[in-house]
Amino acid sequence: MQVNKKYIKKNKTIDSIYKYFFMAMAILASSFIVLLVLFVFTKGISPFLSGYEYGQVNFFDFLFGLTYRQDKGIYGVGFIIINTFISAFAALIISFPISVLTALFIVKIAPKNLSKVMQTIVELLASIPSIVYGVFAGGVITGIVKDLALLFGVSTAGGSSLLAVVILLAIMIFPTITSLSISAIQAVDKDLEQASLALGATKTQTNFKIVLIAAKSGIFAGAILGIGRAFGEATAVAMVAGNKLFGPTFNPFDITRTLTTTMLAGLKETSGLDYDIRFSVGLVLMVVIFVSNYILNLVKKKVGNM
Amino acid sequence: MSTKIKDKILNTITYFASGISVFVLGAVLVFLFSKGFSTLNWDLIVNNYWSQNLLGTVDSVGGDYTISEEVDGIYSARWGIALKDNVNSQKEKVIEVTYIHPESPLKTMLSSSAGDNNKEITLEDGYTIQKIDIVTSDGIPTFTGKIMSQDAATVISNIDSAQKITSIYYKTTGGGIRSSLITTLYLIVISLVIALPIGVCSAIYLHEYASKSKLNKLIRQGIETLTGVPSIVYGLMGVTVLFPVTQLFGATTTSILLGGLTMSIILLPTIMKSTEEALIVVPQSLRDGSLSLGATKSQTIFKVVLPCAVNGILTGVLLSIGRVIGESAALIYTMGTFINDSPKLLSQGTTLSLMIWSFMSGEQPNFELASAISIIILVIVLVLNFIVKAIAKKFTKNFA
Repeated sequence: MQVNKKYIKKNKTIDSIYKYFFMAMAILASSFIVLLVLFVFTKGISPFLSGYEYGQVNFFDFLFGLTYRQDKGIYGVGFIIINTFISAFAALIISFPISVLTALFIVKIAPKNLSKVMQTIVELLASIPSIVYGVFAGGVITGIVKDLALLFGVSTAGGSSLLAVVILLAIMIFPTITSLSISAIQAVDKDLEQASLALGATKTQTNFKIVLIAAKSGIFAGAILGIGRAFGEATAVAMVAGNKLFGPTFNPFDITRTLTTTMLAGLKETSGLDYDIRFSVGLVLMVVIFVSNYILNLVKKKVGNM
Repeated sequence: MSTKIKDKILNTITYFASGISVFVLGAVLVFLFSKGFSTLNWDLIVNNYWSQNLLGTVDSVGGDYTISEEVDGIYSARWGIALKDNVNSQKEKVIEVTYIHPESPLKTMLSSSAGDNNKEITLEDGYTIQKIDIVTSDGIPTFTGKIMSQDAATVISNIDSAQKITSIYYKTTGGGIRSSLITTLYLIVISLVIALPIGVCSAIYLHEYASKSKLNKLIRQGIETLTGVPSIVYGLMGVTVLFPVTQLFGATTTSILLGGLTMSIILLPTIMKSTEEALIVVPQSLRDGSLSLGATKSQTIFKVVLPCAVNGILTGVLLSIGRVIGESAALIYTMGTFINDSPKLLSQGTTLSLMIWSFMSGEQPNFELASAISIIILVIVLVLNFIVKAIAKKFTKNFA
């Protein structure tokens, strides 16, 4: 009896050791996001504080400035923020209807075999790494833009342009929006559809007027995720953006500059103001993503309740 | 009637919309293969990126190395070497070695470059001849080769008529991706060694132990928020948070180790999610059975639950490998973009993706090589994805 008790006690200790070990790992894993925000914030804010070793930068000049020249030490990201919004939302406008229609096609309209093939294609597009899209954009999309520019009689910088960025981003966020839309459409209550059909609506009318409306909340979630990806996309965009020095860019054939391309442009030194300011730009990027996510989520709630 | 037409139009529109994605995928594949397929060969995989300059002492009068078979280029039977005029990947004219006789005096030599004196070096097919120092039949030392803007035929006739060859200066073949492949492997191993235990343990805690307390909700949210962070921001995090950690191991610059640590954090949510999804599918009755037989909770987890969830963990690992191979933005900050032919844990290096970035962001983008590497990346990633799908199929069958 004595032995048995000891045995049980030992097992209990081991058990709780394991529990706390697992818990420690989970806490460690979740602490990374805190560390990330804390450290990037501290480093990103440092150039604006007095006593900064490479010469203090005026925060308002930085945030609202319309010129960004590393060579002259002028850092203004105001126009870059606008550019980032323009390219991301333009990409969303192109990609959103195509994604939703493709999702509807896959779930409701396509014959079973075709639907499987299409789903695989969307998955393949999702698994292509961004650097490969970058190579594609540099080789094909810039070519298309160049031809278009010739057609309109305008000149481009070898095809690197706002339009190229928008097309590239539209392609890259397509799989994200589509796969979330697919789940949303699949989750629509069958009763709703049947009620619509029973009332005499055709299959297509039901698909477009009942299914899509019922799935709008999930589809919107896909759009939010997609725009997040568009904001954060870096290497591929940097290959076709062209890095304009001032702005903002509204002409689709003109070169542009987004927050992420700014962070990558001419990265050589690992110290100095030019390096530290990239953290400030990164901080702006995080704020942009956070704020737009927050606003879009509010909109989503409104849309979901309509 | 008009409803019918309307329906038809709407349906056709969805066909068109889906057609666009098919077209895009097709365009990507056609572009990559048309540009890169011809560059893709075994040499690309085994060669270094930078070509090495070597200087070898020969001091030989030659011999008779007559061969019966035809060789590409112009063959010198006295020296056992065949040379050909060619153009390298940097579009420069070169004199390429197309064949070298195994017993030729030029095959193995002693290096006389400063630094690695008297090391044995070899001349292989594909290397390019820069300069050959010869002594002419009149006994005058001179030289012949590419630096004299001579072509292969002139070089062969010069060395054939010479009294002896004293030394030879040549370049090894470059433009390969061997070092980047090694770096990519390094990165996969480092990031998985760190991310796998943390990710799996977190998933076990959150699914098997965690009550619905506020703390646990916070933990879950913390890990899930990592998914939404753009990879370039992870790069910033790597150099601020993790660089001091690598300094403990003696790192002075950004390094492969730093890249690996950064990647491990990027992978955490992926591994945690796929493990947790597998844990969810394990039937509760298995746990109850094990517990009622007297096993403790930790015994149940290790001996009953985890073996059932191993497919999910494997899925996480495969997806992670794909992510490491494709990642670029975070690594530009943490590993640098210098293509390093002898990658070490604490040195800078480039993965396959970074290598593409490194010569695509330069003045003269090399689309052929970039496409060839893209094909390799794409094939690996697609194969991994298909395996994941196959696992998922088998997995659902197990408990269905």
